[in-house]
Amino acid sequence: MTTSNRPLAAAAGAPVLVIENLTKQYGSFTALNDLNLTLNAGQILGLIGPNGAGKTTTIKILVGLIRPTSGKASIAGVDCVSDASKIKRMVGYMPDTFGSYDNMRVREYLDFFGAAFGIAPRIRAKRIEEVMETTGTAYMKDRFVESLSHGMQQRVGLARTMLHDPKVLILDEPVNGLDPQARIEMRDLLIQLADRGKTLLVTSHILPELARICDRIAIMTHGKLRAYGTVEEIGRQVSQQRTIESTLVSAEQVPAAANLIRQAIEPGADVVEVPAEATVRFRTAKSEAELCQVLTRLIQGQIQVTQFREVQTDLEEAFMSFARPQEAIAAKPVVTGGTTHA
Amino acid sequence: MLNAMAQREMTTMLRRRRMMALQCGLVIFFAILVAVRWPTDARVALTGTRSQQVFQLFGYGLLATVLLLLPVFPATSIVREKKQGTLELLLNTTMGSWRIFFGKLFAVMALAGIILAMSLPAASACYAMGGLSLYGDLWRMYQLLLLVALLFSVLGLLVSSYSNSIDSAVRVTYGLVLCLSILSLGPHYFFQGTKGTLADLGEILRGVSPFAAMMSLTGAGDVGSQGIISQSNLLGRFTVSSLIISAIAGLWTISRLNHKIFDASRPAGTISDDQALGVRFFRRLFFLVDPQRRSGGISSLVNPVMVKEFRCRRFGRLHWLLRLVAICAVLSLGLTYATTAGTLDWGVETIGGIMVVMQVALVVLITPSLSAGLISSERESRGWQLLQTTPMSIGRIVWGKLLSVILPLLLILCATLPGYVVMVYIEPGMTGQVWKVVICLGITAVFAMLLSAAVGSLFSRTAAATAAAYGVLLSICAVPLLFWLGRDAPFGHGTVEKALSINPIAAALSVIRMPGFQNYSLIPANWWFLGGTSVVCLLVLLTQTYRISRPR
Repeated sequence: MTTSNRPLAAAAGAPVLVIENLTKQYGSFTALNDLNLTLNAGQILGLIGPNGAGKTTTIKILVGLIRPTSGKASIAGVDCVSDASKIKRMVGYMPDTFGSYDNMRVREYLDFFGAAFGIAPRIRAKRIEEVMETTGTAYMKDRFVESLSHGMQQRVGLARTMLHDPKVLILDEPVNGLDPQARIEMRDLLIQLADRGKTLLVTSHILPELARICDRIAIMTHGKLRAYGTVEEIGRQVSQQRTIESTLVSAEQVPAAANLIRQAIEPGADVVEVPAEATVRFRTAKSEAELCQVLTRLIQGQIQVTQFREVQTDLEEAFMSFARPQEAIAAKPVVTGGTTHA
Repeated sequence: MLNAMAQREMTTMLRRRRMMALQCGLVIFFAILVAVRWPTDARVALTGTRSQQVFQLFGYGLLATVLLLLPVFPATSIVREKKQGTLELLLNTTMGSWRIFFGKLFAVMALAGIILAMSLPAASACYAMGGLSLYGDLWRMYQLLLLVALLFSVLGLLVSSYSNSIDSAVRVTYGLVLCLSILSLGPHYFFQGTKGTLADLGEILRGVSPFAAMMSLTGAGDVGSQGIISQSNLLGRFTVSSLIISAIAGLWTISRLNHKIFDASRPAGTISDDQALGVRFFRRLFFLVDPQRRSGGISSLVNPVMVKEFRCRRFGRLHWLLRLVAICAVLSLGLTYATTAGTLDWGVETIGGIMVVMQVALVVLITPSLSAGLISSERESRGWQLLQTTPMSIGRIVWGKLLSVILPLLLILCATLPGYVVMVYIEPGMTGQVWKVVICLGITAVFAMLLSAAVGSLFSRTAAATAAAYGVLLSICAVPLLFWLGRDAPFGHGTVEKALSINPIAAALSVIRMPGFQNYSLIPANWWFLGGTSVVCLLVLLTQTYRISRPR
């Protein structure tokens, strides 16, 4: 399982971001339904969900661009709705679109936003140098913003977000469209920011990236929070059942092994034969001791087993199990005790 | 393949609800145009004068409609494809540049055909009144209008192939419309009746103006003919010149529609500060204010939005403003010098009139391009969302944006003041008039700015905002002049005066006592209208800005 690179972040400070019963309705359509979340200082929260899940609505409420229908959201004790002007100074927001201006160089662009945040010219010049250094954009300071590549624009966008030294950074799809190297650099940059005490809320569709950097993950679908916790906790929430994988010496023994396993575990359990990999994969709620007996039966049945291990639920699998629409689940053929060939 | 291209273009243009509303609006407009001059008395006019009067009004109305409505479509056609990335896809198909060009042209011409077809019921009513020839009048008028549509469609496509942004394409195309239709008449007005190169040049230039051709067709006489009767075949000359220009522009556009249109590297972001001393020196000498020098930080005393607006305009950098101011100052002084030197016996009023026309033309041409996209460009580039997340108030943002329009306009207006000073020196009795003209110009600039900003704020796309702002402003400036052209017949003095009282150009010209306008008393009614409309526009702008800024 991919886990966060930041084990020390668990000991992060007091709650900075608190969302309580947040609901947003557009007429009869509920974009956000009774959302509750808490995030401590110095932590990174990964907000994931399919398109239309309510991620951007949540973010826009937090930065004061949308008013909630009911509920509360606060950052460092400041209400996001009633005290929007204070929130603007505390939060750095990077939307999923860059917000480019024609004929403006990178430095001028940052200078403008620095001035818009009311940073005094001398401090601003120093601050621009700092953020450009941090985000690795110093070499492109004289380039025109509209001529930058997408990856460069993402970096400049992050630099802009950091200009006024906000406590909380809210980043909508920061790694979207980046090449692998730029993605790794962006990931390191976000970890670096969190290590400096910044609290980050990040949305992304690139789940392994989130799994690597986030201390907390929130999965949303249809405006509701479906799961919240560390990647491991979410994996456990997904299912009480575990996926076990048994690899054999010979592919010829796969059907026999599958039969033995089927007899040993719950009736109707999902058993998948993968002859190409000489593997049998199955899902079960059996305990460690009971799994031990399954292995014993395989060995007693002259099956030559090279590996017998649990396949951990990763974020992608967890996401898919929540994101899959209910109708699709209902429509999916249920395998009842049979064998599904992969 | 041509069909596929043309079909797609037409579907895109015609399936909008706005287009449907536009067509209905046109039918109503033309019906009203004919109805207001429809004979109501019991007597029958056998001379056909009445129908000629209606035909005149109808012709100008149709021409204005084609000139205001049509150019926006070709102007945005290629550049929009470029921006959306679909031009690459088109060029990657087996469809050649000829088919792409003619597909687009066909679609625009079909739209022109629809617009003209909307006017057919009104044209039939004109014909039914009698006194009009089907071939000599109506057919030739439609022939002229189709030529106008062809000319500006091809020019719009050419501009579109060169533009990098949709709004700049719209701006340049409407600039061309103004230059070819109205400004090309200027030299002839002042040099008619004289002999020499300038007079010949004026006569040639007049041949490219559709207004001159329409006037010759409707029997309205030469433009501001100063009592001189001309026998030139303006319709024929316009036909030839428009076809030649269309052919050249068409071939030029087709030659642009290939890989070369994308064959450019990203700007390297060269900075003079990093160059050798010699290069820096020459750049300073050439530009005065080098646009490639590294700009300083924004001072805390100035509005950052204003600085941002200047910086992100292509012509917003200081060296361009200085050039513009220098051109205005030289022109204004040159005109005044021409009078004092006695080479031209025009009189101070005429020179003043030229300066007024020049200034108002500059204001009308430049202001919508600066002001219409103030809000819509931010919305389109998603910059508005970023501005909303800064602590700046909406009032400060709007004020910064308006300041970025006010300052260039002030510079342009101030640059022409030396001409007025010389004029007052020659004719001290004109001091009062000059003051009034300066007030007129100031009010006109404020009016044009607020009107364009308010109209533009109603749109979320800059191209639509710019086109709408130009349309409204040019209508206010041009439509009353149609009444003026029909002074004596069909319109009486009172009607013309009422129509002109909303026109900023006419007000300034009447104050300076320009021949043709000296009999109308338009001040202070014009000031009240412009002032009142400006206040309404400011309210619309603020309300609209507040509406799009508040959390939903």
